[in-house]
Amino acid sequence: MDISKHDYLEKVLESHKMKHVSDFVSKHKTKRDEIKSELQSNYTGKIYVPINSGSYAKHTAINIKFDLDIIVPFKRDAFETLEEMFDSVYDFLYEKYKDKATVRKQKVSIGLEFYPDEDGEVINLDIVPGRELNQDKYLEDKKLNLYVNTLYGVLKEKTYIQTNIQAQIDHITAKENERKKIRLLKAWKHHNRETYKSFLLELLVIKAFDQANIDGNLWEKLKKTMEYIQNNVNQEGFTLKDPGNSGNNVIDTLNTNERQKLSDTMKRIIENIEANDDNIKIYFPINEKFEETDTQRGYGIKTASASVSIPPNNTRFGL
Amino acid sequence: MKFFNQHKQVSLIIEETLLKKISQIGIEKYPYETGGFLVGYYSDDSMTLYITDYLLPHKQKGMAYLFERSIDGMKQVFKNLFDRQKHFYIGEWHTHPNGSCMYSSTDLNAMIEIANCETVNITNPVLLILSITEKQVKDFTFSIYNNKGLHPYE
Ligand SMILES: [Zn+2]
Repeated sequence: MDISKHDYLEKVLESHKMKHVSDFVSKHKTKRDEIKSELQSNYTGKIYVPINSGSYAKHTAINIKFDLDIIVPFKRDAFETLEEMFDSVYDFLYEKYKDKATVRKQKVSIGLEFYPDEDGEVINLDIVPGRELNQDKYLEDKKLNLYVNTLYGVLKEKTYIQTNIQAQIDHITAKENERKKIRLLKAWKHHNRETYKSFLLELLVIKAFDQANIDGNLWEKLKKTMEYIQNNVNQEGFTLKDPGNSGNNVIDTLNTNERQKLSDTMKRIIENIEANDDNIKIYFPINEKFEETDTQRGYGIKTASASVSIPPNNTRFGL
Repeated sequence: MKFFNQHKQVSLIIEETLLKKISQIGIEKYPYETGGFLVGYYSDDSMTLYITDYLLPHKQKGMAYLFERSIDGMKQVFKNLFDRQKHFYIGEWHTHPNGSCMYSSTDLNAMIEIANCETVNITNPVLLILSITEKQVKDFTFSIYNNKGLHPYE
């Protein structure tokens, strides 16, 4: 490879930055704000101010497959049951947007996929309704219960999960070092069609930085992060505490075979890249759509305007 | 004649008669290498180069596989050209007798030296190589120098 792995990975990150899709992001934000205020006026007295969540709020978003998440916190006495809350929000959004978007019930959220706009772009929003755990305590403890739509859920026996979205967001805030590795692993996941949940990868990276000595340049740090995953994810007793709910061990979303497979995959990636630098391009490709070429268009001159040039003396040309 | 370079998204325009004159000089010197300077100017948006003329060095050494040109006596020529017409040095040309028009490592190093030269005000000098035989020009290539590389025009 003609550049170092560190410089290459910087290019990968650059090509996945959200700034390349800023118009697309602002369209999402406009829609998000519209939905937030509609929910607030429809549920006056029953609702707290909705909060922005998801990878964009956590600064771990990459510009491939992008959506925005809204958490909608309701008061404890707003609904008899969590299911009622979920259905009420679904019905409201469905009535409001059925002509403009596909509205569907997902695992813990209601998905809004708007029909392509005049630029052919599709806006995706996930609305997550939650009910405070204790009456009038949300502003203080940020604790919410989410309804789990069992039809889609893996947690068959459970119909709700307790979470603290704010704690999940805060967990990753101001950790740019970790966020870079998270974005790289998300790029890997996307380009290699891996099915691991972004949330799982996030927690793995944060734990790796917390537990292992991760230093060096960007490649060395990424490699050490992957080594940590390789060496730990398949170990019995390995835990990944959900910052939103300490009782929830997120590694349990993978079974033993899947954990071993993740470990083997990390091992293989590291070995292949160490054997040949160029393999890094297979696992961590540049998003070609936004590849930054340092080449500036046009003929360059060194001063502000054209002037006399005297070429060097005794220059040799050969065959 | 118009050529386009993908790498820098730029065009190069040269009169066919000018190219013929240069070719004639190359053939006359066969089987030895020869060459010289190219002069011209850029469009206001810096996207097009107009090659308006060539200049022959006052002193040069031409061998079968090597060409060395001096700038002795050329400084005033370049100055006059700029003062009178606002045309300036934009690159180099030389022949490859019985060779291809692919640049050699010597050629690339020469272009690096030129672009880095303090008295050269352009960052993307062009290089014209003519592949010649005893009787004719078989082929020619214009390339643009940028950041330690030479990129051909089509
Ligand atoms: Zn040559």
